[in-house]
Amino acid sequence: MSEHDKFRELIEPYALGALDPPERAELEAHLRTNCVECSKALDEAYWLVSQLAHLSPESAPSDILKGRLMRQVRADARSGSSGATIPFWMWAAVAAVLLFAFYNAWDAYQLRDRFRVANESASAAIAHQQELQQQLALAKREAMILTDPASMKFTLPASEKNMPELEVKWHAKMGICIMGHNIPMPPANRTLQLWLIPRTPGAKPMPSMMWRPDANGDFMLMVTNPPDQMNDVKALAVTEEPAGGSPQPTSTPMWLGSVS
Amino acid sequence: MFLAVLTPTDFPSVSPDATLVQGLLRRDVHSFEQLYDRHSRVVYSLVLRILRQAASAEEVVQDVFFQLWRNAAHYDSARGPFLPWLLTMARNRALDQLRLKGERQRRHEDQVEELPPVPVAPDFEHSLDEKRRSARVRSLMDALQPKQKRAIELAYFEGLSHTEIAESMKEPLGTVKSWIRNGLMRLKEGLLAP
Repeated sequence: MSEHDKFRELIEPYALGALDPPERAELEAHLRTNCVECSKALDEAYWLVSQLAHLSPESAPSDILKGRLMRQVRADARSGSSGATIPFWMWAAVAAVLLFAFYNAWDAYQLRDRFRVANESASAAIAHQQELQQQLALAKREAMILTDPASMKFTLPASEKNMPELEVKWHAKMGICIMGHNIPMPPANRTLQLWLIPRTPGAKPMPSMMWRPDANGDFMLMVTNPPDQMNDVKALAVTEEPAGGSPQPTSTPMWLGSVS
Repeated sequence: MFLAVLTPTDFPSVSPDATLVQGLLRRDVHSFEQLYDRHSRVVYSLVLRILRQAASAEEVVQDVFFQLWRNAAHYDSARGPFLPWLLTMARNRALDQLRLKGERQRRHEDQVEELPPVPVAPDFEHSLDEKRRSARVRSLMDALQPKQKRAIELAYFEGLSHTEIAESMKEPLGTVKSWIRNGLMRLKEGLLAP
């Protein structure tokens, strides 16, 4: 008997449910190989075995059973088609939970966004306040330089006759203020630059601030870090330099005045 | 005339059952009711024969038909007629119930419930087919040796395995296997005979 014939003989007892576990497992393993002949034989065996049902004494179920079953089926048919296994209230509950979760996520996002905007506004306000405080401090310092009797006042005469002179006030501790009016505007690629000329013979001019006057030719310049000793500076000069300034003067001073 | 006995190979390509099952797929309650009316008797008779308790049998029958309503798509008409498929499902459910509830033991302890005979509707051709089929199967099974028939019934209605049947009948295992296999083959030949 071939291996296949052996399995073939097990088909009917298998359909009957009479095989003991080892034989059943063996046959099921064979059926899983998709043996066409045995699969067809198994379908026929199920049909054959089902005929044994006709050995049962004839009986009929009660009408109550039919009524109960039909009510169950009608209720199921009304509750929907594909979603019939899940009642409507459960779908509604799921939808409510999803809606609540979505609302919470949206609300959290909105809150986070509002917090971010508020944070940015606060940062901007703080920065603006710091800027104002800085400006106020500079204004106070400037006022002190201009009004304090301890400040020394002198002028920087222009090298050309039709040019206005610059006014200078130097406070030993607070700094230097230089003011000018109706100053000609330097070319676009040029800037005015301040130089501090040391008293020491042969010492090179010390580069200081750069600026351009406003549209009216006015300016107020404050040097907040003057040399510790005013006496170390012999004179102040202003030249016109390329934009960005120069480490050493590249042109003749337009204004030049001794510190005295 | 026993031409009404259908085999897997000679059943009509579009049987009334197949049409009604299509109705189930459309969730047509009327199709379901017709299927129930056509087959509830034989299904119930089988389940009652296995469980021997009317209340348990009705419970299983309700479950089987409701599963049919829910899972009609599981039936593949290409693999055979509808009724054997339904009977196989009903038998499996009933045997599961038998094993789960230990009714096998209780059945021997308790008094067997006497069931009143239920008249079979005589007017339907379908019922006549069923009666002819039952008579044919009974006739063929009665032609077997009593022990051979008993072995097959123990397997079919009690869900016993070869070994359990051999122990129950106090017969050699090989003998029981031969009885069952040969008995089923004779039944098959008888049903397929013209």
